[in-house]
Amino acid sequence: MTTDVSTIYLLDVATGGSIEAELRDAIEQAQLDDWQVKWQPALLAVLQDLARNGVPMSQWPQSWHWNWAQKTAQVQGLLAFRGFSVVACGETQGLAQVDLRKAGREPSQVGKPLVYLDYLEVAPWNRPELGPAPRMRGVGSALITAAVALSVDEGFKGRLGLHSLPQADAFYRKIGMTDLGQDSAYQNLSYFEMTVEQARAFLEEE
Amino acid sequence: MVAKRTMTLNLTDAEMRVLDELSVRKDITKTAVLRQALRLYQTIDARVDKGEKLLFENEATKEKAELMLL
Repeated sequence: MTTDVSTIYLLDVATGGSIEAELRDAIEQAQLDDWQVKWQPALLAVLQDLARNGVPMSQWPQSWHWNWAQKTAQVQGLLAFRGFSVVACGETQGLAQVDLRKAGREPSQVGKPLVYLDYLEVAPWNRPELGPAPRMRGVGSALITAAVALSVDEGFKGRLGLHSLPQADAFYRKIGMTDLGQDSAYQNLSYFEMTVEQARAFLEEE
Repeated sequence: MVAKRTMTLNLTDAEMRVLDELSVRKDITKTAVLRQALRLYQTIDARVDKGEKLLFENEATKEKAELMLL
């Protein structure tokens, strides 16, 4: 399958200007190499700092143990799973993996297919909570937009669902998703959904 | 957007009726129903191939029933 590449623009935090980036509808070896060779050492340095400063593990970045090589290998060749990546300045800036087999829970869309956002992670140097200043902004939004656009393309009308790590709850509320509360069947993480109307409003805003 | 190919599908009236009903109930097109069915079938087939079983559990009674796949 050939990878579809579209141009998007991210915010360069240092200059306030825009940075041209690629949104790719796949996670390929180059992205996994970046994750291994660039993300992992950057994240390790942050974790060592947190440990040295006595910050409890509950306040560490909650995706620190995610292994993208494993996640990608587990769904290799399965139609139900798709990946996205954002590449800018020659480096992978964000990754996402979605599952197309899930159905809605929000009362207006119970049982209707949606795109479920399994994992979304932004490179450590773009995460405001991990350092003095992120390099780029807009990576997470670009990946969410890609997932909503996929939902539209698949005929799911923009419906989107996800379990949020506590550190990301505010972000998903800000983009207009409905918080359906903690899910006892999924590590008590909050479950969020985007309805057809919310997806339309979100895409108009982006 | 991934490029798609077109094919003609031959279905009986009963199959077409089920496809129509699912399309309405799930709020997706008939093409989307079939693509969803293909994804699910491939997922299940891959797991059964690995030696796993497909079970349905009644939430109230906790009764489990195995779905046999041929």
